[in-house]
Amino acid sequence: MKHRKSFTGPELKKELKRCFIYSVLLIIFCSNICLAEAVGTEDSDENLKASNGGFFDRIIAYIKGLLGLEEKVQSSEAETAGMQQSAGTEETVLKIATPNVIKSESMMGDYYMGIFSHLSNPPLMKMDSEGHLVGQLAESYDVSENNTCWTFYIKDDLYWSDGEKVTPEDVEFSIRYYGEKSPSAGWINETLESSSVSGDNNSVTFKFNKPYTRINLEFATYMIMPKHIWGSIEKPLEYTSKGPYVGCGPYYLKLVDLNAGKLVYEKNPYWKGKSPEPKTVEIHFYSSVDVATLALENGEADTYYKYASSYPYTGIEQLEKTGNFDFIEKTDIGLIFLAPNLKKAPLTDKEFREALAYAINYEELVNLETLGYGRVPNRGFVPPTMENFKETEKLEYNPEKAREILEKAGYSDSNGNGILEGKDRKDIKLKILIRPDYARTGELLEEYLEQVGLDSELRSVDADTWYTLKDNYEYDLTVTRTTPWGMLMHASWGSGYFDSRRTGQGVMHNLDDPEFLQLCDDILATTDPEELEGYSSELQDYYAENLPGIPLYWNKVVTPYNRQFEGWYTDPLKGIYNIETFLNIHKV
Amino acid sequence: MRRCEAGEAFENNTLKTLSGTMREAVKKTFRYAASFLLIVTLNFAIPRLMPGDPVKNLIGEDVYVSEAAMEQLRAEMGLNRPLYEQFTAYIGDLLRFDLGYSYHLHSPVAEVLRDRIAWTLLFVGVSVLLGAVLGTLLGAYAGWKPETKANRLICCGFIALSCTPPYFLALLCLDFFAFELGLFPFKGYYDVPTPGSVIHHMFLPVTVMALFSASRNFLIMRGSVIQEKGHLYAIYARAKGLYDISILFRHVIKNASLPIITLLALDFGFLFSGALFTEIIFSLNGMGTLIYDAIIGKDYPVLQGSFLVIALAVLLANMLADLLYAVADPRVRRPTS
Repeated sequence: MKHRKSFTGPELKKELKRCFIYSVLLIIFCSNICLAEAVGTEDSDENLKASNGGFFDRIIAYIKGLLGLEEKVQSSEAETAGMQQSAGTEETVLKIATPNVIKSESMMGDYYMGIFSHLSNPPLMKMDSEGHLVGQLAESYDVSENNTCWTFYIKDDLYWSDGEKVTPEDVEFSIRYYGEKSPSAGWINETLESSSVSGDNNSVTFKFNKPYTRINLEFATYMIMPKHIWGSIEKPLEYTSKGPYVGCGPYYLKLVDLNAGKLVYEKNPYWKGKSPEPKTVEIHFYSSVDVATLALENGEADTYYKYASSYPYTGIEQLEKTGNFDFIEKTDIGLIFLAPNLKKAPLTDKEFREALAYAINYEELVNLETLGYGRVPNRGFVPPTMENFKETEKLEYNPEKAREILEKAGYSDSNGNGILEGKDRKDIKLKILIRPDYARTGELLEEYLEQVGLDSELRSVDADTWYTLKDNYEYDLTVTRTTPWGMLMHASWGSGYFDSRRTGQGVMHNLDDPEFLQLCDDILATTDPEELEGYSSELQDYYAENLPGIPLYWNKVVTPYNRQFEGWYTDPLKGIYNIETFLNIHKV
Repeated sequence: MRRCEAGEAFENNTLKTLSGTMREAVKKTFRYAASFLLIVTLNFAIPRLMPGDPVKNLIGEDVYVSEAAMEQLRAEMGLNRPLYEQFTAYIGDLLRFDLGYSYHLHSPVAEVLRDRIAWTLLFVGVSVLLGAVLGTLLGAYAGWKPETKANRLICCGFIALSCTPPYFLALLCLDFFAFELGLFPFKGYYDVPTPGSVIHHMFLPVTVMALFSASRNFLIMRGSVIQEKGHLYAIYARAKGLYDISILFRHVIKNASLPIITLLALDFGFLFSGALFTEIIFSLNGMGTLIYDAIIGKDYPVLQGSFLVIALAVLLANMLADLLYAVADPRVRRPTS
């Protein structure tokens, strides 16, 4: 039984008193908000927009005020009105959001810090937008006829951020330093016979104990370090510092703050080249791609960069809606491909691989995996953005043809169970090895194979198990990707992934066809551009004919950028993160 | 004569009690020492049982390094030695308080841990404490008066919170408070290393973690209080004329808090292992991401060091829990006959 609450005299008084106090507090709160807004409108036109918003907006603005975030409120409003915080001031700050997290304050030891530090310590060479290798710190270079002697002529107007001049000794020191101290550059130590510098023409010469034709490419990856600083550091990989680090690029690395999640680059006061507009470049790293995209949408950064990867395709539409971003779309020189085990039947059979190539629905893969930001690849493997690309036949989805090729090649279903039998008269069951990144692609492949009468078993494993099983050739098919550097390594055009003489975590090393190996050796023996073009054409024809790897899709690298900035420059190796971008970028 | 006999009996009882306590203490010390040895062995074995090669991992995916260079690197890292030699070296290093050198972070493990633990303690420690206080008090009150509307509502809220994965909860909070309202930053412990900036950056992750921790404590405490308040001593206390608040906070809460002590001891390990998903969402450089990266990178020294610290923390917390149990519950103090 419920009792109705009735107020007696003193209780009524008490309730009225309470109501009065609440009303007064509410009035004070509301008037505070209105006053704060009124003061804000006097201070800034930007705030006019905020005050025109709803009451809820006012409350938020007020809370922000209480928290001492007024400046941020203003900048946040400015962001929504065109992100003028980074573009509309004298001292422009360019902010880059990245999911490539720096884990150690070691410039030479941390992989991503090394990549970002190409801004402060540029390598000798660089790649232009067409994929040609051109000088960066080097004005030009010569190579001897036998390809053992490489001479680099260093630009004369380069200075370190501490005022010292960049000398050929610095270059010689850096290359030797990498060879001696960095395990991944051990090849330098093994092959570099001698080196010398010449003050007269500001050059440095490297003599190798065997012909080495890809030095110009290799030297596009090693930073040049100041000898007068690093010469006394015995273990550079172990050297950690929060900065500043002396650099010779248009910027030097001023601060590494892992707890704040940022790298700060400041203008090099001794830079003699074209003066960059942003005073500061900040790299903000986020552990989660989702959060990085939210930060970008919120105007916390002006662009997004992830080495060898695109901005998440799923986030593009959302970012477009903000109206603050434009996008650069470039076909990646890396790609996703299906790697058959070339050391195991039936994948050793060229006809079988040919049938496989017809069994795959490339259009569907492009739509599902890249949301349309990709295209059906050619049989020649190499994407069109790569130097010396050759137009080969486009891959086609034709399950009937696949079945026909298989039957012609002797794979038939004699027992009528719907599964084709191999030449040993046993049902074919292909083991598809999949890393978590390509789980959906694996499932689709399973369906495609079933359609042409091939049974398969999907085995999803973590990256380390994948490396182990792949190196032991315990698979029939696997899906993997190439990175831009991977496409360029060894004899270039993706050859490093197949050559059986190589090792490495990401490479298949399962092709020992003498024709292919000879082609690789021929490429590795020349620096002549015409010869290289011819060999690259032969190599792409070889891929198209033999299908050692079946490309699944060529995807685009989509890079969003703040519309307030223009002058972005991309190259196939590093995307937008190159010195040209930082020198050319300017406010609209 | 009788007095003399009584005195002897008392002395005998005291001696028995003392020897019983000593026996218990020796037993416990032996148990903890054995656990520690087992932990040290597992710390060494588990990372090495994982698939993958630390040397290949260190070199990277697209880099070609000759077999000779790989072997040289393996030798430098001491990974070419037989396992028993690696184990004895590891034990030797431990005895010298040397936790080794990180392959990937290029620093002594002890230094890396010191930096990360400090921040993790700040982030997870505050969350666990807040969660414990909030969860215990609200849970006790909700258990004492479970039928009120407010308590039912709070209970529903905490059940919902405890069912929400921390990753999702963190992302939701970030989306609402940082993205939509712009009240808090997206990442890091600070922008500039000042207390104000640290508090501003830590507010959201600490709140998320504290809420998550509080939800668990709340549900356990609530259940425990509901059980305890039906016991005779609580009814007797009420019959004596004690106020509700006195019965709850002077008598019931003491007995009801035993499961919370166990939970806090478990949380102590969590305190040092970090909160991986929350650290990922808020881009915090803590123990969670350190261990995760070490697993991915096969950084054995970091894994061994981190696991050791966590194991020691859990052992210590269990010892503390044993002591607290004895304080909270006199039955635990009595030696088993």
